[in-house]
Amino acid sequence: MKISDTLVGAGFVGAGALIVAGTLHYPILDAGHPGPSLFPRIVGTLMAAFGLLVAVQGFRARDVTEAVAWRRLHRSAGFVNALFVLGGVLAYLLLVERLGFLVMGAVVIFVLMWRLEVRPLRALVVAIVFNTLVHFLFAKILRVPLPLGILWW
Amino acid sequence: MLEHLLGALGLLASWKLMGVIAICSVYGLFVGAVPGLTATMAAALLVPFTFFMDPLPSLVAIVTMSAMAIFAGDIPAALVRIPGTPSSAAYTDDSYELTKQGKGELVLGVDLVTSAIGGLMGAVILMSAAPLLAEVALKFTSFEYFWLAALGLSATVMIASAAPIKAGLALLVGLFFSMVGVDITLGYPRFTFGVTEFLNGVDFIPAMIGLFGVSEVLRNMASASLRLPIAPVRAARIFHGLAATLWRYKVNMVRSGLIGTFIGVLPGAGADVAAWIAYAVSRRFSKEPELYGKGAIEPIVDAGTANNSCLAADWVPALVFGIPGDSITAIVIGVLFMKGLRPGPMVFEQQPELIYAVYLSFIIANVLMVPFGYLAIKASGTMLKVPRNILMPAILMFCIVGSFAINNSLFDVGLMLAMGILGYFFEANGIPVAPIVLGMVLGPIVEQNFMVSMIKTDWDLFPFFTRPASAILGGLTILTWALPLVPVAARRWRGVGARGTAP
Repeated sequence: MKISDTLVGAGFVGAGALIVAGTLHYPILDAGHPGPSLFPRIVGTLMAAFGLLVAVQGFRARDVTEAVAWRRLHRSAGFVNALFVLGGVLAYLLLVERLGFLVMGAVVIFVLMWRLEVRPLRALVVAIVFNTLVHFLFAKILRVPLPLGILWW
Repeated sequence: MLEHLLGALGLLASWKLMGVIAICSVYGLFVGAVPGLTATMAAALLVPFTFFMDPLPSLVAIVTMSAMAIFAGDIPAALVRIPGTPSSAAYTDDSYELTKQGKGELVLGVDLVTSAIGGLMGAVILMSAAPLLAEVALKFTSFEYFWLAALGLSATVMIASAAPIKAGLALLVGLFFSMVGVDITLGYPRFTFGVTEFLNGVDFIPAMIGLFGVSEVLRNMASASLRLPIAPVRAARIFHGLAATLWRYKVNMVRSGLIGTFIGVLPGAGADVAAWIAYAVSRRFSKEPELYGKGAIEPIVDAGTANNSCLAADWVPALVFGIPGDSITAIVIGVLFMKGLRPGPMVFEQQPELIYAVYLSFIIANVLMVPFGYLAIKASGTMLKVPRNILMPAILMFCIVGSFAINNSLFDVGLMLAMGILGYFFEANGIPVAPIVLGMVLGPIVEQNFMVSMIKTDWDLFPFFTRPASAILGGLTILTWALPLVPVAARRWRGVGARGTAP
């Protein structure tokens, strides 16, 4: 997702300022020397300065990228695919403890493959087989306590 | 030395380790050969597995995997004009042009053998330089470690990147992440936003998997239906006329091997940088620079040697000082910490077998590279045809489970997702991701050593410049910042000279 350098730079200026602002109430060492706040302040200041440079360069170069190309975004398949990944992981986070890894893992893989135009039956078989293998590898061999949910194995 | 070498051989000579080497060779070759999957991503995905292994097999796994991946990255460069890993990008155009001229077999042969030779050169440098540096490093104090980390940060920005300002921003983001959690001086919690998980800092491994794994999945999803027209080559012919070509460019190999190891020993700059610099130096000294970029074999010899020699040399600063040489060794340092091993000169005294085993596994990996690489070239058609629309969801699931496995915590999976989005957004806007990792590893080293030094001397800055070793390292750091000025100065100087001779 490409946005204009002017905006990217401005974002970093803001982030740098927020970092510095976050350190204002930090305690100081004896004799007034800066302690926990020293390095975050240096980093925040540099971040704002570098961000300003990027913004100015972008502005000078008359960066032709639309600030944010919202209108084209929803038509870009790649962007929608990326949203599917995002949604898939979020759904996994919300539901895995209730439904278990064997179910949720396969669902996420299946939905993504289906979105990427793998034929449904093939996607279903691959999702179940692959996810069961992952479950076996991590839960049985490496003994990671993957959430069991409704299917216990 | 001999006893340590034999001890290390004894450690390596087990069926289990041979199995690890074989599996990781295949894994590395596959990841390298599939465009869009990088060696760094492969290392990040290996970490959850190393969590369940002893230190030795973990290191052997990463060594073998990365050596194979950096070679295998050359295969799609020659066959489909897409570098398999960023380290092959410098000579992708040359490789593909030659393949179009029907010389694909020669290109792949050169790729394979120069990779192995470069890797062996790097291993030799690692074996000879690391113990010597470790002796020196025993005398280092917080002042020197501060400068070493500062040198690493500087090299990441000034040498390792084409866009220093954006690389600098990425580095600062990494430094910021490294400051999350309890601070070293007063134990004050910084930037935790009341989240308990953040008290121990941003966990390195889910962050890595997000930045290098999830972000790549997101990027690849955008071009999931990519069909690659694969140029046909016959693997059986890759050694034809190879010896003559390599003999003609023997000086190039030595020169680029040395360039690669120098870049590698330098903290913060990795194999991709080594390849670009070796390419540029090669063109400067070549008798036929006009062919570069249009199908010359000479730069392939140079850059192909340099990137693999760099890979081994990257371990020098990592093992000796605990300062990562590149993003892969940054992950290695994370693994060592996870194992309760603090990389540094003491490891050379206390666990010499471990160090020697790393050396040996580099040699084994680079010798095995020739037969394994040959098979990979034979199988390249199949590997390049693996459907991405099946591969990407599978990799995503490995990312999810791998992040979860470290602390058995869904919080880490969320962290991984956030880092993945961040990495994707950064890459889309021309901000490199690797500096974030280096910042995360180097941040605590810079801050702790600075604070310790300051408290030791009661805020006297002089020892940073008056201790001899400290002064040298400080000088190098400042030199790195002055580096971009060199071409400007040279141009001006040459311009003046030209005007002087004009009639």
